[in-house]
Amino acid sequence: MRISDISRLAWDQVTRRKVVTGLCMAGISIGCAAIIVALSIGESAKSYSEKQLNQSFKMDEITVTANGGIPSQGGGGTPEVSDKLDPGKLTRQKLEIIQKLKHVNAAAPFQELGYSQMLTMDNRVGDVQVIGTDLHLLTKYDKTFLQGGASDLPRMAVLNYGATLGLIDDETKRKILEGFGNDPYNVQLREQFDSLSVLPSQMYQQQFQLQFKDYSNPASKIQQSAPLRVFGILNKASGADDLMESYNKIIYVSLETAQQLVEELNMTNGTVGQEGVYNSAIVKVDSTDNIVQVEKLIQKLTLTTSTNLYQLEQLADEFNMFKKVALGVGVFILIIASISIIVAMTMSTHQRRRQIGIMKVLGANMGQIRNMFITEAALLGMMGGMLGVLISYLIVFGINKLIGTAAGPVPGNGIIINIPIMTIPIGIAFAVMTGVFSGIYPAISASRTNALTAIKRD
Amino acid sequence: MLRVENVTHFFKNGSESTPVLHDINFTVKPGEMVALLGSSGSGKSTLLNLMAGLMKPMEGDIYIADHNIVKMSENKLSEFRRKHIGFIFQAYELITSLTVRENVELPLVFQSVSPSIRKQKSLSLLDKVGILDKADLFPSQLSGGQQQRVSIARSLITEPSVIFADEPTGNLDSKTEEEIIGILLQLNKTMNTTFIIVTHETDVAEQMQRIFALRDGYLVSEKGSLVGMEPKGGISIEN
Repeated sequence: MRISDISRLAWDQVTRRKVVTGLCMAGISIGCAAIIVALSIGESAKSYSEKQLNQSFKMDEITVTANGGIPSQGGGGTPEVSDKLDPGKLTRQKLEIIQKLKHVNAAAPFQELGYSQMLTMDNRVGDVQVIGTDLHLLTKYDKTFLQGGASDLPRMAVLNYGATLGLIDDETKRKILEGFGNDPYNVQLREQFDSLSVLPSQMYQQQFQLQFKDYSNPASKIQQSAPLRVFGILNKASGADDLMESYNKIIYVSLETAQQLVEELNMTNGTVGQEGVYNSAIVKVDSTDNIVQVEKLIQKLTLTTSTNLYQLEQLADEFNMFKKVALGVGVFILIIASISIIVAMTMSTHQRRRQIGIMKVLGANMGQIRNMFITEAALLGMMGGMLGVLISYLIVFGINKLIGTAAGPVPGNGIIINIPIMTIPIGIAFAVMTGVFSGIYPAISASRTNALTAIKRD
Repeated sequence: MLRVENVTHFFKNGSESTPVLHDINFTVKPGEMVALLGSSGSGKSTLLNLMAGLMKPMEGDIYIADHNIVKMSENKLSEFRRKHIGFIFQAYELITSLTVRENVELPLVFQSVSPSIRKQKSLSLLDKVGILDKADLFPSQLSGGQQQRVSIARSLITEPSVIFADEPTGNLDSKTEEEIIGILLQLNKTMNTTFIIVTHETDVAEQMQRIFALRDGYLVSEKGSLVGMEPKGGISIEN
């Protein structure tokens, strides 16, 4: 029997028996919609959280630091060997090797000089972190310039957006702190402080100095650097607002300038100051999928690495659990739906016994009768699945409306549920499978109909 | 063509068994048109069902085109029926959701015959039975006589070795009955198809080439010697 004939006969029954078709489709569509919505919420929540995580923690970057020390190779096992530990230093040569690795987009040193105070020419101050790096590579790390750019000239600095916020003079700062000391719950003072914290300053092409005091040494004095000039200002990080930026103030300088600053400010910060040796570097990888592979290769250079992948793994575990539960609910609904199909189709089989008998007398064998019924059930499943897709879109539309109302008027604030294209065939496949599995018993029952008994008239 | 050998059948109801057919023997030659005549309860319909392979006899063998259908499995029998046996029912038994042409084509659908060949054959047969203009109508739009013509066309479409007709005129008025019997006689003549027609009407049976009469499960006589015959168990009638 041709597939087209089986399908046509099955379709004929599906369209004729509207009540049975409606009942079966209703059950399946609800189950299918539940699966699609569950998967979509799971996926959307996951990608939303990943996006949020990516804004806070760079997932496609590997932080490389010098290794604490490893035993020298080929030492022959003499007792003196254990005392001679190679430092596992992070050197320029090693970075050059890393840069050439597959999937590596950039590898630049990020020499952390520590925290110091930025002092503008008009005596405003702000606490900043100073990092020595290759300024030309900053754009490789998802950073874009709001003003200016990188420069090869000495004593040029690039400020992140946060570093331009909240620069206030010492006198104002002191007064506010005193005010908090007298009245910690002064709302007006709090509002004044908050607005000052995010107050932007025009810093492009301005000069400033850095001040540093080693608080671990009570005898040390405040050191002040020679002036530096702002040659570039970076844009805000994606998704961050001024308040978030105000907690993250960074000044980037070239490695040469960093070396000069260490000497001027009398910093004793690990390897800073050693030519061609760094305390930290960041490797940018083309995709989070390749992070583990690149990380393993870097570790072979006796360097210590760290990534934020564990955040993703933790997130994936949480969402996998959610998806399993949601999928379970969808499958449960489909099981209930399949019972309705079995009942409806068994009734339909009973009503069509005479027709089945005639077909058998005309030469239809058991397999052909069975296939007709299973195709009919699969068609019911498919139609239910398609209706389920439609329902799932309506549900998702409703959920998004609710979220939109709850999130307020700010666009992009909150999660938006999208139906991933792949969930549609998955949902329909589940629906068709439910139809087919539910149709097996009625189909077998129909194929076993005794032709003679079926065509006998009462 | 058709050979019935020592067929005996009885229905079981618990431990009790009711005899229906007693040692039936006869042969039908290719192209013959035979009536199986008998009153209600004579066993003629049971014999028809046995010959069509819808039931298996308790004893005996039935050969169609030299194949013993008693020994066949159900699937094999379906296949055999598809190729060698045609059916005409008293109540026409058309599928109401299919058009006239689709009903006629149905046996070929089970044989996976291509739609173009099916269409060609069905239209030709509808022309032969005189309802070509009704091809696209549904059975509910036809009269009883027209529906029986569709049933006749359907039985012929597989070019079977033998066609069994169970009271083909039972639901029709006398005028239509004449028309249907006329069509069957004409088809037998032109297509040389073997017909076995079950009837309880003597005037219908008398138009056939031979008559096998059944009474209380016994084959009692051939054409011309029906009236006043007493049951004679185990009579075998051969030409």
